[in-house]
Amino acid sequence: MARRRRKNLGTNIAALVIAAFVALPLYWMIASSFKGQVDITSAAAVPPHPTTANYGNAFSNYNFGRYLLNSAVVAVCTTVIVLGLGTFAGYALARLPMRGKTSIMTALLMISLFPTIAVVAPLYLLLRDIGWLNSYQGLVLSYTALMLPFSIWILRNFFLGIPKAMEESARVDGAGPVRTVIQVILPQALPGLFTAGVFTFVAAWTEFIIALTLNNADQYRTIAVGIALFGGQFTTPYGTIFAASAVAMLPIAILVLVFRRAVVSGLTAGAVKG
Amino acid sequence: MTTTDARTTPPLLGAGGRRSRSSLRRSSARLGWAFSAPALLVVAAVLIFPIVFSVVMSFNHVNVTGNGFQLNGLTGQNYSILFGSQRYWHDLEFTFGYTVVTVTVEMILGTLVALVLERLTVARGWLMALLLLPWALITVVSAQLWAYIYNGVYGVADAIFNSVGVHNLNVLGTPMQASIAMGVADVWKTTPFVAIMVLAGLVMLPGEVVEAARIDGANAWKIFWRVRLPLLRPALAVAVMFRILQAFGLFDLPYVLTGGGPGTSTESLALLGYKVLFNDLEFGPGAAVAASTAVIVLVVCLLFLKVFRTQVGEQED
Amino acid sequence: MRITNKRRQTAMAVTAAAVLALGTACSSSGSSTPAATGSASGTITWFANQFGPTTVDVRKTLIADFEKAYPNIKVNLEQAPSDSDTYRSTLVTQISGGSSSFDVYNGDVVWPAQFGKQSLALPLNSYFDSSYWNTFSKGLVTSLTYNKQTYAVPLFTDNAFLFYRKDLLQQANLPVPTTWEQLQTEAAKLQSLGLVKYGFAAQFDSYEGLTCDWTEFAADAGAASVNADGTKSTIDSAAAQKALTYMRGLISSGVAPAAITTFQEQQSESLFTSGQVAFLRNWTYAYADSNTPGTSQVVGKVGVTNLPTFQGETGPGYSVTGGWNLYINPHSKNIAADVDFLKWMTGTQAQTIMAEQGGEIPVVASVLQNAQVQASNPAYPIAAKNKLNARPSYVPQYSQISEAIYNNINAALSGSVSPQSALSAANSQINTALASNGL
Repeated sequence: MARRRRKNLGTNIAALVIAAFVALPLYWMIASSFKGQVDITSAAAVPPHPTTANYGNAFSNYNFGRYLLNSAVVAVCTTVIVLGLGTFAGYALARLPMRGKTSIMTALLMISLFPTIAVVAPLYLLLRDIGWLNSYQGLVLSYTALMLPFSIWILRNFFLGIPKAMEESARVDGAGPVRTVIQVILPQALPGLFTAGVFTFVAAWTEFIIALTLNNADQYRTIAVGIALFGGQFTTPYGTIFAASAVAMLPIAILVLVFRRAVVSGLTAGAVKG
Repeated sequence: MTTTDARTTPPLLGAGGRRSRSSLRRSSARLGWAFSAPALLVVAAVLIFPIVFSVVMSFNHVNVTGNGFQLNGLTGQNYSILFGSQRYWHDLEFTFGYTVVTVTVEMILGTLVALVLERLTVARGWLMALLLLPWALITVVSAQLWAYIYNGVYGVADAIFNSVGVHNLNVLGTPMQASIAMGVADVWKTTPFVAIMVLAGLVMLPGEVVEAARIDGANAWKIFWRVRLPLLRPALAVAVMFRILQAFGLFDLPYVLTGGGPGTSTESLALLGYKVLFNDLEFGPGAAVAASTAVIVLVVCLLFLKVFRTQVGEQED
Repeated sequence: MRITNKRRQTAMAVTAAAVLALGTACSSSGSSTPAATGSASGTITWFANQFGPTTVDVRKTLIADFEKAYPNIKVNLEQAPSDSDTYRSTLVTQISGGSSSFDVYNGDVVWPAQFGKQSLALPLNSYFDSSYWNTFSKGLVTSLTYNKQTYAVPLFTDNAFLFYRKDLLQQANLPVPTTWEQLQTEAAKLQSLGLVKYGFAAQFDSYEGLTCDWTEFAADAGAASVNADGTKSTIDSAAAQKALTYMRGLISSGVAPAAITTFQEQQSESLFTSGQVAFLRNWTYAYADSNTPGTSQVVGKVGVTNLPTFQGETGPGYSVTGGWNLYINPHSKNIAADVDFLKWMTGTQAQTIMAEQGGEIPVVASVLQNAQVQASNPAYPIAAKNKLNARPSYVPQYSQISEAIYNNINAALSGSVSPQSALSAANSQINTALASNGL
């Protein structure tokens, strides 16, 4: 009994240390977003004269609401498509007897390790030729292609860990392969799906150089690009940047908090059944 | 590579159960292609051209003009320029060292964080939510946040060092300090990524094995080292590999924090590639930087997988 | 092999020819009177980063007044990234990809040779007659020219100044320094009297701004980084070593903070506006900024003068020219309207707005000499007396040359290499860049 309590105490202290390390820079960002132009150059831990001027500036001087919407559309579409395509590909590469699986996995790896800066210009030419510059679908397609390799790798890995007996019994029950994947495999691999999904969403939400290049029109710009427009020739308006970033972080924070239960149970579900 | 195979005609879907046993294997192979073809096609359609084009540029005299790219003849000069340049080797060395150090630190910390997360009950969801935030912060902004923290005039880092008696530290002023400062920012942002991947792996482990070891009288430490860690290998391998990829592509932090300075001491390969491509408009050598980086990372990844004894695509049965 | 397909090219050639005909037609009809409205019409997009004060967007004022003067032309403002390297990367990708999503774009003053060589900007000689260029100083026109073609018109220019604390000099009974040696002595004195924490701040980070600062110090000592015809490096000279040794001495003597090797404009300025430094080398904007109540703690205490030079040289010291130009996208579909816009933007009305509301030095000499304009900003009369010097941006490989300069000078300033070896490294890297056979 005493030993377990001591263990819990240790865990809790560790958790607090982790939380502090993660939270302090974030706190610094949010606190600074409430600092005015004078206080922003001070290291005061609490804004001496709190102001929301930075938030007003981000929304009134720039089309920030629109950028938020664009990022949301692009990130959600990308995540849904990546998970949809990635699940089936990952399952096939983990389970089905195809020849050349090793080559496929290596090819995917090679593709995902090619530096993005080098493919931006040719990618621009490609999307210009199909007429998808300044559009949602152009970005979604590019992001899907860029993020699929990693998701396939993750998902395949998780599928490999699922006992085969379950598929066998599903097949005996007369379930088709698509139904087997959706009804039997997916629930088992929720943690992997979650990992791949969060990775994709975040990557699409934060990507900069491709969004900057493909979508030059203001009505299709994403947040990451929007924030890079802030400021003048010689100034980095930290207050405004932090205010905008805090707002950009909010949807993700809410999403994670709302799905906190689902995420945790998704993660534990795998453990219980596995 | 084999991605062209993906164009094989898709078989009938949803007919798996009613097949005769002899054709089952062949049909499920076809099913495999049908399942993976859409994903592979998207990847191939979007990325094969840019990558091939980039590689072609790296072997050509390239002139970027207002009318597109002119390729003026094959050459190996782009690579000989690179390999003959001290700056390239320095940047490679820096990127490699930075990758080894940060990925190692992040893997160790990430695994520890995952273990802590696993043992938490009520607080787990909250801590996970918090962990996701730095990672979801736009990369450029995160670099700017750290630039603000490390600012030589009013940065809070200086204030903290001053309060413990270290004055005029000039955080970004020396190569070593600037590298460490970048490493801290990197660890802060990406350890959560590792932690979540490891946690997802941890909870997928079959409970019976651990239970059996516990009954055999093994303590928690032993169970972790001897039983769980080996089982975690695939999850860890994927995490390490993709961290290597990301770390080798290190760009935003040196771009915003140091501009590669002092001198070029914290210039990464990706930053070099960016400068050569878009500041100097030397697309031949720039593409060569990118292509050679890709080959180096590939070799590192494959070596790593070999050492880690995780096959890339082990054939099932 | 070309990536752009044939059909596009033909289409573009036809449009270009048509527009060219149109352009010459209109320039012959009404170049002398800018108010010649109605010659061109349509909508054009101006891709521009923010300049001038952050409180009012002077670009919008300019557009509104232009549209009043040219009611048939509408101008869309497309906001560009504030970081100039990021901005250039997206310009290059889009223009080389044949984009016509913007017609006129802002570009740095050091880009004409590079953009001209790569035909990323429309050559302007056939659209502007020679009398047009006479409104600008000769040096300015030279900076826009590559291979006898002009690739941009100047939007506004920028100069460097020495900003100093009037109150501190008065308290210590010291004169405004006219040589760098004097500046260092006075700064040290102010520090030892306990009046101020640091003596001098400038932009010594490893970036383009250091190339500006370096060019000034070097010119004061009688050195240049590249020879006049842009064929050879001249950076490894005794004069250059004198300049670099002096700069390093500012740091090692404690007159400048050690962190100056990580300073860009913003850090150096905030050190000044927070009252922690006596002398500051910075651009025009710093005067208005440091006199803005609410952001600055030194309002009313700021003096501005020409930069000092080294002892034994005739003063004042050199200032490099900064600022931004207007370029035309070669794929623009409405060059006639673009040309009207460029002409108006470099005319008296726009340049007066630029000076009075934008806080930027006008490119038209007569506007800068105007008494009312001069009264609007104490830096302008000083600017009129500035001795100007350009960075070696007349060579198309300028960006590599600048990298060679700021990387090595920064390394020497931060003490990791000696001034001598930094200069010889810069020398060989510049020569490699000029020969176009290296990184």
